[in-house]
Amino acid sequence: MRLAAGARRPVGCTPKDVVWRRGRTELWHYRNDGVQVSPPLLIVFSLISRSFILDLSPGNSFIERLLGAGFDVWLLDWGVPDERDAQNRLEDYVDDYLPAGITRVLELTGQDEISLLGYCFGGNLALLYAAHHRSSPLRSLTVMATAADFRHMGPLADVFGTGGLDVADVLDADGNVPPRVVLQGFRTLKPTAQLTRYVDLWERLWDDEYVAAYQAMTAWSDHHVPFPGAAADEVVRMLVRDNGFVTDRLTVGGDRVHLADVRCPFLTVLATRDHIVPEPAAAPLIDLVGARDKHELRLDAGHIGLVVGKTAARTTIPTIIDFLRQRSTVSRSGLSGTSPGSPARRTSGFPG
Amino acid sequence: MAQPPLWRRLYDTAEHAIAPRLESVVRTEHFARGSALAGWAQATAKARVAALSARAWHLVNLPTGTDVARLRTQIGALDREVRRLALRLEQQADNDGRTDGEETDGAGARPP
Repeated sequence: MRLAAGARRPVGCTPKDVVWRRGRTELWHYRNDGVQVSPPLLIVFSLISRSFILDLSPGNSFIERLLGAGFDVWLLDWGVPDERDAQNRLEDYVDDYLPAGITRVLELTGQDEISLLGYCFGGNLALLYAAHHRSSPLRSLTVMATAADFRHMGPLADVFGTGGLDVADVLDADGNVPPRVVLQGFRTLKPTAQLTRYVDLWERLWDDEYVAAYQAMTAWSDHHVPFPGAAADEVVRMLVRDNGFVTDRLTVGGDRVHLADVRCPFLTVLATRDHIVPEPAAAPLIDLVGARDKHELRLDAGHIGLVVGKTAARTTIPTIIDFLRQRSTVSRSGLSGTSPGSPARRTSGFPG
Repeated sequence: MAQPPLWRRLYDTAEHAIAPRLESVVRTEHFARGSALAGWAQATAKARVAALSARAWHLVNLPTGTDVARLRTQIGALDREVRRLALRLEQQADNDGRTDGEETDGAGARPP
């Protein structure tokens, strides 16, 4: 009935305010009257998909859980790139937008530190930022489903890597990599998944809850955003062909950067059934960063399962919350309306 | 827990047999090279057609889609330079202790 009526459950519903905007990039602040944790938490999203996957639906929202745990949550959303973004390089995000977003958060909160959380390719951007800005005000860095060894990234990376296809050959008229190329790459990872998806839907067509979840998920998985052409070219050359994260051949804005320079407390979360960022692609990361306080969390989940669904609710989100709270200052009375120096305590006991 | 219907069990059996084989095929070097070749051939064909039609339109002194794309690229590059410059100025202003409220919707901010 839902499908026939074309009814769609709204996504990204958690109340938020746009507090800063430059180009297509926006800084969102999620409203929370019960902030108990400082420093603020800034989420850096991927460049190729839409950020509402982190706030899919009420009761199934990563953002909602973070807010419920007392975090002051901010998100850098890159928007939908167009021809004006075709020349954007990785340094635009790592050296310009991210520092500007962080400055805004610090300015608006009156804090002098921030926790950074990168999702998927957003984790790569956050890593490059932390490596290139060694005096950055990071209390901690968490990355989820973030690749380090791009040789294991599947057919799309293979086509550009061993296949030798140039990014210039797939650009659209805007100069960006069109979403269909990325989508096709993801679909090739599991060739039968597309058909299985419809078989699952047919079997549970009368289950309104399932259909609503199906619609929300497909709204995300079928609607990626263009990848800025120059940044995509850089990714192919530096991360795919040179495998820069593993071989320590990373360059941002003309400077050599090293993951060994990432010294802040670090958590990497990877999913063992992730077909987009497979385990072998994400696993080397923990050994590459230079932090002493570093942890790896491996979960029996898929790429999306890290932030959506039962595994996320039961394991991923509580573990991330636990990690962040132990590296944050937690106030029982709440921070709203209080100064950054209010009475607070540090928690402890994160395993590992 | 109820058993899935027969048609579903048949599908699952077939899928479990086929999926791993297909997945291993798409991870081969041949597949990567074949896909790259197909992508390159498609791009070359599109470029040839664009070049031919451009020649025709230029004969009658009219701009082509390629000309427009080139202009859009140049405007995009200019837009990027302006954006980066604005961000740098903003950062510089922050470093100097000044505030730049033009791009900030202060009313929307709810600092803790």
